[in-house]
Amino acid sequence: MSRFPVRGRRGRRIAAVAPLLVGALFMTACGGSSDTSATSTKKSSDSSSPAGEEAGGLIAIITPSPDNPFFKAEADASKAKAEELGYETSVASHDDDVNKQSELIDAAISRKAKAIILDNAGADASIGPIQKAVDAGIPVFLIDREINQTGIASAQIVSNNAQGAQLGAQSFVEAMGEKGNYVELVGKESDTNAGVRSGGYNDVISQYPNMKRVVQETANWDQQEAFTKMETILQRNRDIQGVIAGNDTMALGAVAALKAAGLIKKVLVVGFDGSPDAIAAIKAGEMHATVLQPAGGGAEEAVMQADKLIRTGEKPAEEKQSIDCELITKDNADEFGVFARL
Amino acid sequence: MTVDTNVARTETADAEVQEAAARARRLFVLNLVFEARAFIALAVLIAVFGFLSDSFLTVTNLITMTKHVAINAVLALGMLLVILKGGIDLSVGSILGLSGVVAGELLGGVRLDIFGVVAYPPVWVVVIICLGVGTAAGLVNGILVTRFKVAPFIATLGTLYIARGIALLMSNGQTYPRLGGDPSLDNTGFGWIGTGRPLGLPTSIWFMMVLALAVTLLLTKTPFGRWLYATGGNERAAELSGVPVLRVKTLVYMISGACAAASGLIIASELTSAAPQAGETFELNAIAAVVIGGAALSGGRGTVRGTLVGAFVIGFLADGLVIVGVSTFWQILIKGAVIILAVVLDQGQQRFQRRGAAAAAVAASRRPD
Repeated sequence: MSRFPVRGRRGRRIAAVAPLLVGALFMTACGGSSDTSATSTKKSSDSSSPAGEEAGGLIAIITPSPDNPFFKAEADASKAKAEELGYETSVASHDDDVNKQSELIDAAISRKAKAIILDNAGADASIGPIQKAVDAGIPVFLIDREINQTGIASAQIVSNNAQGAQLGAQSFVEAMGEKGNYVELVGKESDTNAGVRSGGYNDVISQYPNMKRVVQETANWDQQEAFTKMETILQRNRDIQGVIAGNDTMALGAVAALKAAGLIKKVLVVGFDGSPDAIAAIKAGEMHATVLQPAGGGAEEAVMQADKLIRTGEKPAEEKQSIDCELITKDNADEFGVFARL
Repeated sequence: MTVDTNVARTETADAEVQEAAARARRLFVLNLVFEARAFIALAVLIAVFGFLSDSFLTVTNLITMTKHVAINAVLALGMLLVILKGGIDLSVGSILGLSGVVAGELLGGVRLDIFGVVAYPPVWVVVIICLGVGTAAGLVNGILVTRFKVAPFIATLGTLYIARGIALLMSNGQTYPRLGGDPSLDNTGFGWIGTGRPLGLPTSIWFMMVLALAVTLLLTKTPFGRWLYATGGNERAAELSGVPVLRVKTLVYMISGACAAASGLIIASELTSAAPQAGETFELNAIAAVVIGGAALSGGRGTVRGTLVGAFVIGFLADGLVIVGVSTFWQILIKGAVIILAVVLDQGQQRFQRRGAAAAAVAASRRPD
């Protein structure tokens, strides 16, 4: 190095600058893409009116990745409701990236949004960015996921996962005749909801001594992983009468494995989320039940409360609000559409 | 006098030669052990899991596990070609997802607005189109790398995002359910790709075997194979000696893309549904299989046999840990440890090989003939 000081130093400088450049490039690329993908719609002509009094202005909707139909339903429902009430909307996703969420909130602040509807990226990591928005005078309405602090957000509207899990487990136990061996597929273990649902299932099932959990395995919310793991589990033990999964994608992965093994008629499968695919599987007799999280309902409720706050200055009475889940079985499968009652 | 000194010199030389030959033999044996390390690892895995669980070493379980291995092995064989060239293909997982989505879209019917009809292509057409999409994505990678001189890591990182984005846009984020087809539309049979069992073995295993054979022949019996090793070993030298380097480089990405698309079809068929997010991080599993199989990321070194064993090590390890009931967190950690161990051993083998070659050269050069 010392023999070629100039070259070495320049090399080092380039080495130091290159990642920064690339980073900046990517950041602008991301910022740009999220801005362009953020579908802005103009509804009201006088968006410059001061906060309060009347509807109009921008509502920023920020959700996790749209490749999950649940989050997409959530974003679609809140967008539709806000536009119906006469607001402009911008829809963007943070992909469970805390940093990206913070940037999106900054963007909402600089665009002087009237309210932010947020399905946040982390119970602790989101507190700071939300505080930032509230300090800038923008009320934040949380949906689907809570944060670990109260008094900042105007509302935290969360579907009651524990209640939903108990509903699903109760139906599962009854359909199995209160006895038998079952497999539990758990969601991504770092996700709060995976733990809450698993806990809800076990609170109910553990009351029945003849119900025996032979395997508990995580499949990371993923269909293909659930398929592979279910096939492997069946290699160890074919004496299984039920599968209860933390979400519908995993349940459907298990269904595919059970079909391949010729056991689909003998094994009851219960999922969670109420996705359209799961409802179709229930109608086809391949799944026993799923639990609907009303994604659309919670999102619409949040927009309506935001609208009320903007127009009248009246905050929701309760910050923490929970929405009950609904059980879907063959008996009522026809009554449900995409994450909502028809 | 002169004769005497000559004899003495020959004697010391003989001793040196013998020593060198012995060293070369020792290093050769060690080298063999290293060469076979992936096989040894696989044997150890099978023995340990066989001992820990009665259901591991059964025919049906071995077939099931091999079926799981096949998905990664098909990706890894394509990846091997790219890595032999000294490149890397990060886009395979996304191409896999895109392939499934394209299949889902086609099986659901193609609207031909000009004619006002919905066409339902038969399964074989769907398969060919999906493989074509994968090949085309590989061609884009190849052109970026050869014509636009983008580093393979960056080019394929870009296509990783682009392919995933296209898959999400096409599917609107939704999963395509029920790809079984409809007898009245004459597009059934998609499920057979993943669940058929000709001669008792799943189709994916047959496909893996045929592909492995084809790639072996390609590498050992064709000029393309020699060009590929030459390009990966020393690109400049290969170019100067008349190897069509650009064509070789482009082709390997196309083959890798086609392999990814084939894997995507297998997965979509097994699940009879196609999710746009299928195959996330699968590229890393494929790279791991190639590396465990003894290929050099710098190019020019690696075999089909090694890559297959690498894929088996990863797959059997994952399934074995599930059967034994080890926590997922440990499964992830153990996989990482195995990959690092494989590369460390690989470095060791390189050292032995060089020393062995040097000792053999000494023995050969001094040999009186």
